[in-house]
Formats: sequence, structure tokens, C-alpha cells
Amino acid sequence: MNAIAAGGMNEATPQRAQTLLDLAKVIRSKNAGPFEVTFDIMFDDPAKYERVKRSGVINAARIAELYRVRRDDVLVCRAYDPAVAFKVTIRRQVGSGDIEDRDVYGCQQHVPLMALEVAA
Amino acid sequence: MDEIVGLAPSGSMGSGYNLEAFKRGIAAQPHFIGQDAGSTDMGPYYHGTGATFLPLATYRHDLAIMLRAARAQRIPLLVGSALTSGANGSLAQAVEIVRALAREDGLSFRMAVISAEIDKSDLKRRLAKEPFESIGPGPLTPETIERCGPIVAQMGVEPFMKALDAGAEVIIAGRACDDVIFAALPMLKGFDAGLSLHCGKILECAGLSAVPTDLAEPLLGRVRRDHFEVEPCHPDHRCTTVSVAGHSLYERGDPCLQPGPGGMNDLTNAVFTQVDARRVQVSGSRFVPDARYRVKLEGAEKLGYRSIVLVGIRDPFMIEALDPLFADVRERAEARFGMAAKGVQLNFSVYGKNAVMGALEPVTKVDPHEVGLLIDAVAPEQDLATAVAMFVRGTLQHASYPGIRNTAGNMAYPFSPFGLPLGPAYRFAVYHLMPLEDACECFPMTLEEVRN
Repeated sequence: MNAIAAGGMNEATPQRAQTLLDLAKVIRSKNAGPFEVTFDIMFDDPAKYERVKRSGVINAARIAELYRVRRDDVLVCRAYDPAVAFKVTIRRQVGSGDIEDRDVYGCQQHVPLMALEVAA
Repeated sequence: MDEIVGLAPSGSMGSGYNLEAFKRGIAAQPHFIGQDAGSTDMGPYYHGTGATFLPLATYRHDLAIMLRAARAQRIPLLVGSALTSGANGSLAQAVEIVRALAREDGLSFRMAVISAEIDKSDLKRRLAKEPFESIGPGPLTPETIERCGPIVAQMGVEPFMKALDAGAEVIIAGRACDDVIFAALPMLKGFDAGLSLHCGKILECAGLSAVPTDLAEPLLGRVRRDHFEVEPCHPDHRCTTVSVAGHSLYERGDPCLQPGPGGMNDLTNAVFTQVDARRVQVSGSRFVPDARYRVKLEGAEKLGYRSIVLVGIRDPFMIEALDPLFADVRERAEARFGMAAKGVQLNFSVYGKNAVMGALEPVTKVDPHEVGLLIDAVAPEQDLATAVAMFVRGTLQHASYPGIRNTAGNMAYPFSPFGLPLGPAYRFAVYHLMPLEDACECFPMTLEEVRN
């Protein structure tokens, strides 16, 4: 799993904190129009969802840090109870299909979220 | 009438259907068949050129199934965003396919064709009166408009309602907001706009909101007075409150406030209820009209022509040396072609390192045993783009680097030819909101009596 995070996860830590990968059922990214990428983090167990919600780990400042974007570029970051899900939307740094873009659908930008650690 | 039942055969026309499930959907006696046939999702090329995403034969395959079923049942068939960009060229192709299918099968019907391409002179006149709000790119200028391929506006529900009201039995429309295709008949019959549009949002991707998830699986939606209900046609598939609520999020920036033509659908108080193992009911969605009706414009400007070379690299010393090699070859290409002065853009993407996420990639230390390298040149002429990409390739092929043992060639080619001209390159430059006096004013409709 060293491909997920910048490092540290391969270290021998006896009591590793749980991550979103451990708790969420779906972690996905996709364009919301050509100029935004939106992330859905979904759960099949309401208890796990509530735990993540209580932890407050999914917040705009943390998302900005994770994706190295400006705080203003995190457009939406909130829980959505009816879907037992979190919704995060960031401004694309490069528009879909623009010269330097390499993910036209925006569907492979979700991985850094997997490593977010959730307090017990 | 206490409900309007809509059938969505698939989430994207041309993807094919599960025919057995489609027949089961027809057996439920829907009042209409709706099909979305376009998107900006596949990037700016399709809006820039007006080209269709798939070969026409694949659209013809799906249209034949839908048209025969709709005529046999005497129910309307509504197709939106035909085909891909929904500009006039591809709209005409879709209409021609429908006419040909009708001739072959001896079908007769009233067809409405609704255009969504905006005349550029008209657009400039409108723009001269007031600037349009951007929802992504820079300000819209007459120069940008000129550099763009066809510019389309996303129509709202009104042009579809107008066509149905005129007795259209087949509606082929250019660019349209996805959900309105499915909301038109319910709203014409007086059902609530918020519920009709929310149901449309679920239906437009068909089986994507069911479990297991499958874009090519048909979905049924029933809009009623105080709720709507969705159900997959496949007997082994099911909708769950989580799958349906989850799909309400899909491809939308905000889970609760979803802007569309003429207003906002507010899902803040939406309630999702499991009816049985396979059906979900939704209530509480509320449409809030804007003070001023606006539609989203879409267009892509031409940046030049793209040529690429795609190679693999296995040598560990070469992989280690890539960044300095790129800097060196870029300098040489600049000296050889004067790239900056000519407006040539050269990019390297290293698959196995950070090609997919680029600047957003948090993993900085990697040790891949092989990498893929995409050499990507965009230039004002195709030949220049190919010349730059091939010059870079040739230079890298025989470049020297620390630790080199292999002096026979640095890169493995997956095929011959090496240099691939990809044609014009585009960027979405029009993504702005244009105010309208009348929701139908830039979506002209023609009615045609198809007789066979």
C-alpha cells in the first residue's frame, strides 16, 4: 500500500490508526463539469460513517493540504446523511482535456483520500 | 393520471442494453422512453470538432431498439444531447439515422427536432449587452467565440415540453441538461418540477444508481404526486436508499443544491425510503426557480494540433536520469524549432511516476522497474507537432546519462509508426451562463411528419 501515501504506512507500527480505506465502501472521484473534480466517500455501515463524521477528519483545510490546492479551491466539503456519504469538490487545477491534463474523466484522483487517518 | 412512468434504457446512448431487461421495462407500460446521448465528460475534442464519441453504427443499434419499442407501444421517445456535443452537425446525423430506420421498418410518426447550437453572431450580440458569468474558464470574449468549434447551450425542460405539447412522438434534441429529458412529460402533466427533475437525474444514468452498478442496465422511474420511485428492470438488480442517494451525488459538485437551466433543484430535505428489496421512493426534492432564466453555454477552442510518441523504458539508469534528460532535450528542441516563439507546447508524462495526478500527486519517492513515457507536442501545424515529438524522441533515444551501459537505444516502442498525429487539440473555453428572456428562444424546433 505504499503507493497510497507519501510514506510511513510501511513502517512497523503496531497500532496503526484506521484509514478511510478501512472504513469506507466507496471512495471515488469524477468530473463535475470540466472545471471541477468531485469526490464521493460512501459507507455501507452507518456506524463507520458516524465515526468518520465525528472525527472531523474530512474538512476543507485537510483536503487542501492533501491535494496541495488553495483552501479557496475546496468548493464543497460536507457530510450528506441521506446517502451516508461525504461530498468533497475541488476546483480543477487544469481543465478536463486541456493540454496538461492527464485525467479527462477525473476518475483517478481519489487515491490520496484512502490514506486519511481516522481517530479511534 | 396518478403517475408518469419513464424508461431509461441506458445511461449513455451507444453503450448497448440488456435486451431482456429492456423488454421487462417495456412490459411495465412506461409512458415514455428517454435517452441521454451526450456529455462534456469525454473532454473538449468532441465539442471542438462536433465529432461523435462512438461510430454512428452503435447509435443506430440503440436507436433501432428504442424506436421500434416506442412506436409499438405508441409512447414518445425523447433523446437529448444527440450526439455527444449536441451541436447541429451530429444532431443532423442522429435525425438521418431515425429517418432511415423509419423507412426500413415502415414507421410513421411526428418528429420534433430541437437545435441547441448558438449562432456565433447572435451570441456576440447578446454578449455585447452584458458579460456572461463564467463557471470555470476566463471571461467570454468575441475572440474566444471565434476560436471555438460549435457552441451549444444546455436546454432546459421547456423545449421538450413544447415538443410534446405539439404532439411530437419522437423528439431528437441537441445539447440538453440530462435530467430534463425525463422531467418533460411528468411536468407537462402537472407533476412537481423538483421530483420530476430529481427522478430525471437518477434515470439519466440508468442502472448506474442500482446495485450492481451498470450503466447499460435499464431503469424505470415513476413520478407521482408527492414522491417518485425508481426500480431496475433487471430482476436480480436492486435500488437501495444508499445507491439512489449516492447517485444523487454523482457528477454534481454539491449534494443538495444542484443548479440547472432556470433554477436550482434543492435536495436538502430529500428523503429516501426503501419500499421493497428492489425499489426506492424519494420525496422532498424541491425546485427553486431563478429570478432570471439562464442556460449553460459550452464550447471548446482550438489550441493547435497534437502529435505524440508513446514508449516504454526498462533501463534503471535511464529511469533515474529522466528529469535532467527532459530539461536537456527541451533546450535542444527550443534551439532547433523556436518553440516559445511559435507557440509549441511540449509535455512529458511518465507513467509509473506521476503522470496520472501530476501536481496533485502526493507520492514523491517511487522506484518503478519500468515506466511508460508519453511525449506530447501541440503546435500550430500538425507537421510541426510531429517534427517536435519525433526530434525529442530521436534525441532521447540516443542520449547519454550517468551509469549508461546500453548504448544501442534507450526506449522500447510498442508499435510502428512512432510519431502519431492526433489532429486538432482543444480546450473548454466556453462554460458560461447566458440569460434568456424565453426558455425556448435559442432552441428552435422543427416538426416533421415522417410517413412510410
